[in-house]
Amino acid sequence: MLAVHQVSRTFQNGKAGFENINLQLQRGEVVGVLGTSGCGKSTLLRVLSGLDPQFEGSIRTEAERPEEAFGMMFQEPRLMPWLTVLDNVTFGFSKKQKKSEALDLIETVGLQGFEKHYPKDLSGGMAQRAAIARSLLSQPDILLLDEPFSALDAFTKMQLQDLLLSIWEKRRTTTLLVTHDIDEALYLCDRIVIMRGQPGQIASEIFINRSKPRKRGDHRLAELKEEILKELDFTKP
Amino acid sequence: MSSRTETTVRPAARVNKARAVKRNLSGSWLGLILPVFIILLWEYASRSGWVAPHLLPSPTTVVNEMAALAQGGELLGHITITLYRVFAGFLAGAIAAVLLGAATGYVKVIHQLLDPMLQALRAIPSLAWVPLFVLWIGIGEASKITLVAVGVFFPVYLNLTSGIQGIDRKLIEVGRIYNFTSLQQIKKIILPAALPSFIVGLRSGLSLGWMFVVAAELLGASQGLGYLMVYGQNTSAPSLVIGSIILFAIFGKITDEILKRIQTKTLKWQDNLENAS
Ligand SMILES: Nc1ncnc2c1ncn2[C@@H]1O[C@H](COP(=O)(O)OP(=O)(O)OP(=O)(O)O)[C@@H](O)[C@H]1O
Ligand SMILES: [Mg+2]
Repeated sequence: MLAVHQVSRTFQNGKAGFENINLQLQRGEVVGVLGTSGCGKSTLLRVLSGLDPQFEGSIRTEAERPEEAFGMMFQEPRLMPWLTVLDNVTFGFSKKQKKSEALDLIETVGLQGFEKHYPKDLSGGMAQRAAIARSLLSQPDILLLDEPFSALDAFTKMQLQDLLLSIWEKRRTTTLLVTHDIDEALYLCDRIVIMRGQPGQIASEIFINRSKPRKRGDHRLAELKEEILKELDFTKP
Repeated sequence: MSSRTETTVRPAARVNKARAVKRNLSGSWLGLILPVFIILLWEYASRSGWVAPHLLPSPTTVVNEMAALAQGGELLGHITITLYRVFAGFLAGAIAAVLLGAATGYVKVIHQLLDPMLQALRAIPSLAWVPLFVLWIGIGEASKITLVAVGVFFPVYLNLTSGIQGIDRKLIEVGRIYNFTSLQQIKKIILPAALPSFIVGLRSGLSLGWMFVVAAELLGASQGLGYLMVYGQNTSAPSLVIGSIILFAIFGKITDEILKRIQTKTLKWQDNLENAS
């Protein structure tokens, strides 16, 4: 579905960004990217989505028009301040066609009653939920999510993680999920790649052979978490 | 004068609660006290002979003279021609500013080509154009409308380009994720995002437009409120001058109020003090 071969994008004379990334995503696979802050995770998503064309290496997709294959949710909500929540969710599409679908999504992310409000009326977490609804409406081949739940409280976060799971069940969207939350990655992903360093490189890859939905307290996941924490440890060379 | 173009005008509060309406009303009553007092004082001063009536006629004299002028239909002619000049000039200046502003704001090469020259022209106090325009286009309508258009052009142009340049790159990127064409990008992101500063530009452009119509009519006109002022000056009729000033104030206020309403209505999404409820 997506083949990334020896892709590099560096800044500041090779001191920041990421380099030599190799990554293959199968159709329907959900891959998590974990890594310390500043190791180039957001930059990787920008390169994949086509926002940053100055990279080296090759990126191939199965889509006929590669530039249309990707949907993206940014680290910040990036809602249009002049559009209501409903218009933001249907942004880029005909409102008439997508209205009922959008209203469903707004309800699932718990924003019912706010359809006609402007982003200035929303809290940070609510804005993020509106952005999630927007990125889910577009139904891309490959969904890139940059820390989608980082601004949410623990409970809403779990609810939305379950929402993502149920949507994946239905659509089988291939997804690359950047996150700081190890539990989240373990709960949602089929595979986790761990990035380290400045510029960031893939340090290791962990397969999670557990069927979904998983139990959050699963002891196997706890063992994996231990392993990941060791991998992320800076003090280790 | 060109420094006026930078004035920021903010949308007025959207009053939606009855209490707020009441508070606002009593607020505007409060604002009336001083003008009413001054008018009464002025009336008293001219009647009791404190000030010479041939310099400062009483308010009632002003109103009576203007009413007499209105009855003959003459006043309406002056008002119509002045309004026509302002509107035609405003329209021409604003349209030119939108076309050039959009081009320089969106296409980098055009910006590099045109913007330095426009910025330099802007440094010329706009009233300095008056004699030149009178020479070039004669004393006809065209020169007056062009002058008003020049006055309107700069604030609209400057606000629009700075609005476009100030658009958050992050929002533009959202459009790129959706694979928008340039046209869609302009329609769905750039125009709405630049709208607030555009309307601010329109409002300061309009106030400059009024200033310029006065200048144009003072210098070369045979009709219009500005001409009426010159006429009043030459015939030692201060009531005509004062009456014209008051009419300018009234029409300036009305037209600005219209733009202000549009501003409030289209920008209610803005997160600022005025929109806080
Ligand atoms: N356009 C740019 N110019 C220069 N340096 C940049 C640019 N974009 C990113 N960087 C640098 O690249 C590094 C990686 O940034 P990136 O945003 O990808 O980190 P991240 O892994 O997403 O971090 P976080 O987890 O905190 O979001 C940072 O050191 C950043 O300063
Ligand atoms: Mg990031």
